[in-house]
Order: sequence, then structure tokens, then C-alpha cells
Amino acid sequence: MSPAGCSHVNGYKVDNWKQNLRVIYQCFVWSGTAETRRRKAKSCICHMCGAHLNRLHSCLYCVFFGCFTKKHIHEHAKNKRHNLAIDLLYGGIYCFVCQDYIYDKDMEQIAKEEQRKAWKLLSVISVPSHLCFFMSTGIGEKYTTWEPTKRELELLRHNPKRRKITTNCTIGLRGLINLGNTCFMNCIVQALTHTPLLRDFFLSDRHKCEMQSNSCLVCEMSQLFQEFYSGHRSPHIPFRLLHLVWTHARHLAGYEQQDAHEFLIAALDVLHRHCKGDTTHDNGKKANNPNHCNCIIDQIFTGGLQSDVTCQVCHGVSTTIDPFWDISLDLPGSSTPFWPLSPGGDGSTVNGESHLSGSTTLTDCLRRFTRPEHLGSSAKIKCGGCHSYQESTKQLTMKKLPIVACFHLKRFEHSAKLRRKITTYVSFPLELDMTPFMASSKESRMNGQYQQTVDVLNNDNKYSLFAVVNHQGTLESGHYTSFIRQHKDQWFKCDDAIITKASIKDVLDSEGYLLFYHKQFLEYE
Amino acid sequence: MSKDSRMRATINQKLTEMGERERLKELLRAKLTECGWKDQMKAHCKEVIKEKGLEHVTVEDLVVEITPKGRALVPDSVKKELLQRIRAFLAQHAT
Repeated sequence: MSPAGCSHVNGYKVDNWKQNLRVIYQCFVWSGTAETRRRKAKSCICHMCGAHLNRLHSCLYCVFFGCFTKKHIHEHAKNKRHNLAIDLLYGGIYCFVCQDYIYDKDMEQIAKEEQRKAWKLLSVISVPSHLCFFMSTGIGEKYTTWEPTKRELELLRHNPKRRKITTNCTIGLRGLINLGNTCFMNCIVQALTHTPLLRDFFLSDRHKCEMQSNSCLVCEMSQLFQEFYSGHRSPHIPFRLLHLVWTHARHLAGYEQQDAHEFLIAALDVLHRHCKGDTTHDNGKKANNPNHCNCIIDQIFTGGLQSDVTCQVCHGVSTTIDPFWDISLDLPGSSTPFWPLSPGGDGSTVNGESHLSGSTTLTDCLRRFTRPEHLGSSAKIKCGGCHSYQESTKQLTMKKLPIVACFHLKRFEHSAKLRRKITTYVSFPLELDMTPFMASSKESRMNGQYQQTVDVLNNDNKYSLFAVVNHQGTLESGHYTSFIRQHKDQWFKCDDAIITKASIKDVLDSEGYLLFYHKQFLEYE
Repeated sequence: MSKDSRMRATINQKLTEMGERERLKELLRAKLTECGWKDQMKAHCKEVIKEKGLEHVTVEDLVVEITPKGRALVPDSVKKELLQRIRAFLAQHAT
């Protein structure tokens, strides 16, 4: 059973053998089209006993099908001296002289290609290439085991050091030196390098750079991931990243303290713009449409926010859907009144947040965010139904949830009268269910189903917390730190260059400024 | 051919023609991987190879050794699910 094949196939490899072999694969082993399947169904039975089971084999030299188990194909091989047969179940080539299955490189190549072809014809659902799960009702791209290329084998041989990931290992954790009030950048970098899908994207080298200069932020991000997962424990100095940020987001340049949230949005924006070369999903066609970009940033962070404006006179609804990367939530204590909230949508019971002596929860903020808001007589909207300016109500709901949802608690007030920081404690949960805030839930509420029954089987809207960015201090002088989650339940506090272990209680008791949640269950497109 | 085997052949034909056979195979493959059956079989194969020696073992040896064990270790839930799928398919496409 040598991987180098056997010498007896040489007698077969003459004339048009490749084409003949392909035909056999297409017709009798991996039948892709309806026609070949019909033919296979009718003709693939043993010529001696008529059975279709018993490991049917086809002779490679003539049209003969025989059972392997009952040795019918063996008889044929002996009588006709046709010493090669193919297994119709798995496509393996059997040599009767060697009395074993043989592995001929050329034949294996043909087998692989034909299998792929047939598979493409059979598959109904396409799978985004960075996810390779199987659905239980259909089939996606056929799962094939990874086989290294020559180059990869070379690399593996030259780099024999292997890293073992145990539950206690700290790989992926690394401090970041503060280069002068750059903690706003450091905490976002910590959150991004611990975003699972983003990490997988960069560690599998998925970025193909199309920028000529050295100023691609995505390349720098890729480099950053390499640094974080290198195993080095000394803090990293992100001077190149800082320089690139100053180059591409001028409003963030300078040595004064900046807003971490602003940095997050600016960073996502630049990464999104520099990702143009990676949008080669859909059969190799590039997504040229900026509104339907399919880059990794959009795939992970972009959600859809639905805005419904209802005319108070004719009750006609005008709907728009806008993309978003984060949800900015007003807090009690700001100049805009927080309470009262709208009825319905029992969010806080779903999310099990603690209402410690009347403290506000994240769910409260979300309920307020998605409440119908009367726009007032000074802000009349032109109604398409009434053809005149009418008073209306506006309501925001989630149309499409992103894989990573970022909540921004608006703690920094920059109104005309004052500039201050709102330090109201807002409790947030480890697990969040966004169902009550979905556009679809709102529709059911409008149809009279007030109490939203929580569908335990619907996992689409369930999220887990994985990073928290906190701000200590005042508006004028403050400091950013972050908590990030590693390995399911371990949390670490990142304070620039210092990384310390943290408890879940530390995380949940913290003030919270930016909250990063990750979808628990990923699905197909 | 007995009535039983003729029925088997007809069902097989129908399943093959509609491509359902391939889909069922893949479903089975996924289920058996999920429940750890594939890993169990792989381990057993390794044992057989160690026993017989890498240079001398043939595919036939492995087939003979692991088929009975493999058949016995398929979980009932997997069998049930596939039977259900086949029944549903046949009900849908009854001639």
C-alpha cells in the first residue's frame, strides 16, 4: 500500500485514459447531473447477482460491475485479466495483482477534481468562506481535510517549534506602551485583537494588500495580531499604528487625550476602506458597490438600523434602514430626559440584569433607544400619504444585527451649557438577548402580542460580552482601561502595559463606556 | 431476487436519481463526526495497523476488522434520524 502507486497501472495509462477515467467518475461514482444520476441508479448493479450493495466495483477496462464482498469483481478480473477496478462508493482504485487499493497521483488528481465538480452541482447553499459549519437540512461546500502544499511543507519543516494552547496559557495577551495619552488607542486595540472572528481572519492571512505604499492600516493590524500571538510577554510599542492613525484620521492626531469611541469608529472606517482587496467572496467577483461591501469589517461589525416615521394623521409609515457600527445610548443624568420608557418589551427579565436599588441597566437604555418618540409640532415631517406636513412619531429598531455589537454609553456631554462626564452606574449583563429590540419583534407587538414570549430555540439574537472599555477620571484628565475575555470565562484587565487577571465581578461592576458583545451562534448567509 | 431486495433496489434507485442519496451520505457523515464515531473508528484503525504492521496491512484487513465494530457503534439517534429522513423523502415522492 505505497503512496507512490503501483506499476500495474501503467498498462492502463494509455491513449485517452484520462478522459475515460473522468467519464467513469462522473457517471458512476460522483454523479452530479440529473442525467448521470438516472443512469447510475439504473445501471449500477452487479452484473452477476443484481445487488447494488456489497461494495460495488466497476472494471476499468470494460463495462462490468461486480460486488466486491461476494468476489464477483474478482472473478471477472481473473477471467478477463482486467486487473484494475474502481470502488463506486469512494472512488478508490483497486489493483488485483497487488491485492490492495493503490494511490496513483494522476488518478487521485482526477478523482479530486471530479468530486468537486459533482459537489458544486449538488450543493444548494453557499457558505461564507470564513465559516465552515454544516447545516442539518442541506449541504454546503464539501468538507475536505487540509492537505499542505509543497511550500507549506517546506515552511513546516523549517519552523519546527510548535505552540500548544492550554486553558491557562496567556497567548494573545500583551501589554501596550502608552506613547503619550494613547490609552484611548490601546484599549480599542485590546478589544479588536480579542474579537474572535477578526483574530481568525488575520491569523489565517486573509488580507491581500492592494495598496502600493506602506500605509495600509489592515497590514498593520495583521502585524499587530502577529505581535499579540507571538508569545512575547514584553509590552508592545505600537508606534507604527499610531503614525498610521495620525496619517489617516487627522482629527485624532496630536498628543492630547482623545475619545476611545471616536477612535474605534475612525479605525473601523480606515480598515474598511483599506480592505478593498479582500472582497473576493462571491465566485471571485469583487464587490465594487461601497454600500454592499463584503469586507471583513462589514461582515463583523455592520448592522442595519431601521427608522420608522409614522404620520399621526394617516398612520402611514415611512421606513429607512441605515448601516451602523455601534449603538450610542443616552444615559439618565444627561440633559435629555431619560424616563419614562415605552411599554412592552420585557427586556430586563430576558437579560436578567440586576436592578440594584433602581440602577439603570443596559436593557433600559436599549428600551429607551427603541421607544417611539413623538417629534413634536416644531418638527413636522412631509407625509407622502397626506401630501402635507404633519406631526409624526419616530421609532428606531434593529433590522439586522451585526456579529459584533458595540454599545457606546454616552458619558461625555458636550452640550451648549456644559461639558461634563456622566458617571451614572449602568449595569450590563454577560449575556444579552436582542430579540425585544428587533424590528420583527416590534411588528409582533403592533399586532397585539405585547408580552414577547422568549423563544428558547431561537438563538439568533443572543450575545456574549467579550470586551469592556472603561474611562476613569474627568473630561479634562482621564485614563482608559479595558477588560477583555480570553478562553470562555477568563477575564483580564488591560491598563496600557500592565495586564492583570480580573474576576467577572470586576468586569460587571465597572462603570462601562464601550461594551463589546459577540453573537453566540453564527449562521450562514 | 427476493421481494425485499427488489424493494431495496427500487428505493435505492429513487434516492440516487434525486440526489438524495448523496445528501443523506453527507448528513450521516456529519452526524457520525459530531458524535465522535469517526474518531473512535480512526483510533481502532490505528490499532489494527500497529498490530499488522504498516508495510503489510491492506485496506481489506481494515475493512474486515472495523466493519462489525463500526456497525455496532452507530448511535440509535443517528439511525432514527436517517430512517426518518428516508421515510419523509419516500412519502414525498411516492409514485
